[in-house]
Amino acid sequence: MSSVVAKGHDRGSFACVSTALLLFAFLCFLGAVPAAPLLAQGAAAPDARTADDEFSRQLNELKKTFTDLSKRIDDSAQTMGRSQNAEAARKEIEELRAHVGALLGAVADNGTVWNLGAKALRRAEDKLKALDQETRYKPEEKQFLIQRWRELKVATEGAIGELEKARKDFAELLRTLQTNEDFIDELLQVREHEKALEVIQRLTDGIRDASDKLKKLLTTIKPPGV
Amino acid sequence: MWPFAARLLGGMLVLGLAACNPNGSVGYVEIKTVPATSAPALYLDTAKLEPVRNGTAVLRQKVGTSKLQVDGEGGQLALLCNIVVQKNRITSVTVSSSTRPPRCQCGRNSTETPPNRTCVA
Repeated sequence: MSSVVAKGHDRGSFACVSTALLLFAFLCFLGAVPAAPLLAQGAAAPDARTADDEFSRQLNELKKTFTDLSKRIDDSAQTMGRSQNAEAARKEIEELRAHVGALLGAVADNGTVWNLGAKALRRAEDKLKALDQETRYKPEEKQFLIQRWRELKVATEGAIGELEKARKDFAELLRTLQTNEDFIDELLQVREHEKALEVIQRLTDGIRDASDKLKKLLTTIKPPGV
Repeated sequence: MWPFAARLLGGMLVLGLAACNPNGSVGYVEIKTVPATSAPALYLDTAKLEPVRNGTAVLRQKVGTSKLQVDGEGGQLALLCNIVVQKNRITSVTVSSSTRPPRCQCGRNSTETPPNRTCVA
């Protein structure tokens, strides 16, 4: 699996967060916050949490976000379906774009979940290669470990496949929303209010379809190792 | 003295994190490569992209104008097209490598468009 890396734009955010963390550390030093337990947790976390654990955790988080978004999409479709005000409906589409965009960002090629999936898959592949060369264990022990890692690899590939589908669907939905929003905007500019409402009604059906797809996706995404 | 300093710094921390707004002002770029199997090495601004999987990549990108480039002659990067990234919108480009040099076409279909153009969502 490959992931696309375009990290340059993250530097500003990184510097910003670093400054905030530095301030936080200083605050701890002053004794205003009990520093020791927090630091202890922070130090233990990277060792305890492997790439696949983190990937599974992030996938579960993503599923929760999907659930929230699915409800939000249903609400938007309902509001837009009832609306007789094209301008208000256009605003609703704009808000919906922000939500869909956030999800697309999570599953984008340079998004967090995708990168963790790539890391988890690489780890499974590395482990299988290493176990193949392993001579310390009995054959049945070695075989057991290889079998478990193979299962984990297949499950990770499955989850990544579902993420790819999700990415395609979110990209399509975002494109539909922005194109319709632009068209509604054009219609409003030429005072075609009724025609704009027709477009909104059609879009409402499309949004409901997207919501159904999202609900199906929720049942198919399975974090590896679960 | 210490509680006051701590409160002051706490306030600075909250303000600092609020100012970061890591989710603000981003859009998306969809890059489709045709044919899917023989895509050239691509760069978004100066960041090299890993090979595009299954012929399509979607990238989260800061709002603004980004340059889609390929390796050119003499180790220099050659501009394919500019991509305007708008907040919470997706801009699609198709990179066709069936010609030399590769061409960038705005949109999802590889219709003939002039090279080095600017693609908008």
